[in-house]
This record gives sequence, structure tokens and C-alpha cells, in this order.
Amino acid sequence: MSEAPLDLACELMAQSLAAWRVAGAVERSRDGAIVICAARKEIRIDAAPSNPMFRWMVTIDGRKRRAISIVAVLRQVREALDPGYAAKRVRVALTALVPY
Amino acid sequence: MRADVIPISILTGFLGSGKTTILGHLLRQSAFSRTAVIINEFGEVGLDHELVEASEDSFIELKTGCLCCKIRSDLAQTLQDMLQRRDDGKCPPFDRIVIETSGLADPAPILQTLMTDTTIGGRLVLGGVVATVDSVTGASTLQREDISQKQVAIADAIVLTKLDLNGPAQPALLRRLAELNAAAPVLSADRGKIHSQCLFSAGPYDPHAKSLDVNSWLAQERHSHARHDADIQAFTVVRNEPIAAVTLTLFLETLAEHCGADLLRLKGIVNVAESPDRPAVIHGVQHVFHAPAWLKRWPSDDRRSRIVFITRRVRERWVEALLEAIGAEVADASVAA
Repeated sequence: MSEAPLDLACELMAQSLAAWRVAGAVERSRDGAIVICAARKEIRIDAAPSNPMFRWMVTIDGRKRRAISIVAVLRQVREALDPGYAAKRVRVALTALVPY
Repeated sequence: MRADVIPISILTGFLGSGKTTILGHLLRQSAFSRTAVIINEFGEVGLDHELVEASEDSFIELKTGCLCCKIRSDLAQTLQDMLQRRDDGKCPPFDRIVIETSGLADPAPILQTLMTDTTIGGRLVLGGVVATVDSVTGASTLQREDISQKQVAIADAIVLTKLDLNGPAQPALLRRLAELNAAAPVLSADRGKIHSQCLFSAGPYDPHAKSLDVNSWLAQERHSHARHDADIQAFTVVRNEPIAAVTLTLFLETLAEHCGADLLRLKGIVNVAESPDRPAVIHGVQHVFHAPAWLKRWPSDDRRSRIVFITRRVRERWVEALLEAIGAEVADASVAA
């Protein structure tokens, strides 16, 4: 993975803490991982090595889970930090914007 | 296109803001004949329908109870019954429907019902959402009543009423309206009188042209930046470069997942990388999204993607960061493949 997705993922995590009103810090470690310290948890997000399916590895309090995309990473991080979080699934409208 | 598809518009606004007065004037205009109206009142005994006089080509249904909570299925049933009676020739052959909500109703669930109910899907198309604001008491109402903010935020057009009592609208009120919903034109009603075409052409679908009127719907040039301490905010995300289809899909899914009810409304025109000559028009209310409508061509020389957000407690910078992060990952994966 190139640096750009990692940098932007780091920025997204920092903005997400603010959006969820969770106090904490997000920074890049020397080895390039994204490290989040918040809500008495330490979360580490690494680019998964050369895995075409799972691009990320998320470690929460020592427990490792793969993630298929930055969207999945975001979900795992929020589930860890925001106990009241209940994901809403998108629903597609039956009516059209323009009549068929 | 089906010839009998009927636009349905919502007239909302806080208690006493002049909805019924405007509706009464509209229904006396010849251009607004052939209209079916559903008036929703909160109490057990409705009065507003007594105050509205309809022409022979129009008719009024009354629903009591709160339309946005307990009688959403009742709304769908009412609409289905009206359409059936129209098809059977048992009522005037209306060619538009207006729902006047109660002053305490949240218009978002009503919009969602219109977007998702299987019994009415295919027969109706969303017209505009119009919110009335009392120019005398509007500023204090917006400060005090969350539901009033939401009514304004979701609207496609805002109508200031009672200007005859108070003179021109106060700058503070106009500023607050712009903070809540800069995309919506602010119209004035003269003692309840307003031209119907100004009012209900503010939605995405133009029933006269029978097409999407994206430019006026988005009203891009009117947008200002949101006030950052505000609970409800309006802002626009603009992208000069095309957006990959998969990025757009993931972005919308993630917004729905994380924002839910706080994503009051989203509307936009998107330059999709795989379809450079045919932009996608997107629209969502909370977690419910229309399938994108693909325009035959760009409506102007401006080919930037422009997505208008009306949100509650959703930060603009988070939305920007989300789109950036997903876009970068999709680009990186494409290069790697």
C-alpha cells in the first residue's frame, strides 16, 4: 500500500474521534502504523502485507482482526470506542427521482 | 415514462407559521387546480381543513394524529386509496398531491415513507419540500424548537410569511436560515399569496419539463459555509476530479451507516469516472437513498461533483476525510491490480 491511503486513513481516524466526541489521540508510529489511544483502549491499524483481499490489520487491545477496506476499519474502530453505536444499513428507495 | 406519474410535495412549517393560509391561496389559483391535499393535524379534532376552500377540481383529505410517527403506514394507505379512487373515476382526476404536515411533524420520516413504500412506489415522484417560516416569530422559534430547525433544514424552498406585520425579514433570521439550509431559495408570501410555480418547482423533479432540474435544486452558488457551533449544518462537498463509482457507493453506504438519522438530507450531482458524459444525480434522506438518476447530459459547463449535505452533529471535515480516504484506497487498489 502506498503512503497516501495511510495518511488519509490517519486523518479520517482523527476526524472520526472528534465526530464521535471521543477524547483521544491518533498518530503514526515509527513503523508506519496508525495508533489510536482513546476510551482506555489502544488500537493499532496496519496495512496488511501484500494481501489482495484484506488490506488492513486492526489490533484492539492485543486482539488482531483483518479488515477488507477502510470502511471496515472504521466500523471496527467505532464499535470499539463507541458502545452506543448501532450501524444503520443503507436502504434503497422504491420510488425513482425521475419517473420511469 | 408513465403518463400518470404524480408529483407529491410536502408543505411543512412550525405551528402558526402560515401553512394553511398559503394552501388556501394556492388552491384558489387556476394553475393549482387538480390538486389533492392531505392535511395532517396533531389533535383528535382537525380544524385546518375547514379553513381551506378547494376548487371543484381539487379535494382535501384530513388525517389526525402525528404523521411522522404513528400513522406513517396510514399515510401510505391514504395515498394508495386516493390513487385507486382517481383510477376508478371516483374523485377529481388530480395531477398533483400536497401533504400539509402538522406544525409539530418531522418531515424526514414522511419523505422516507414516500420513498420506500411498496404500495405507492412507481405512481408518485417526489416534488418539493416547502417550509413556511413566520417572519415575526421565526428567529425565536428556530432557537427554541429543534423540529422547526429540521423542517427548514430539509426543505427545497423556504417561504417567509407575515411580512406584512413586521416589514422586511430581519437579517438575523435570514442568516439563520442560510446556516440551516443555504441551498433553498427564500421566497416571500404576500398575505399568504405566492405563485404556485415558484413554490413547488423547487424539488428535484420539474413536472412541467418532466425532467430533473438539478441546477436550481442544488443552487450551488448560494451555498455558504456552515456555522461550526451549530447543531444542524449545511455544507457542500465539491470535487474537481471524477469520482469512481465504487468510491461513491462506499461513501454513501458509510454515511448511512455512521450518520443514520443525523444525515437529514443529501443531494448532489456527481461526475462518475465511468460515466463522464452522463452525471449521476443522488438523493438521500437519513439512511434511505434513491438509486442514482443518470442525466442524459451535463446541465451546464460545470462538471464538478457537488454534493449538498444537511446534517445534525455531522462534521464537514469528517465527511471530507471519509471521501478522501475511500477515494485514495480505491485508487491504490486499482493501481495494485
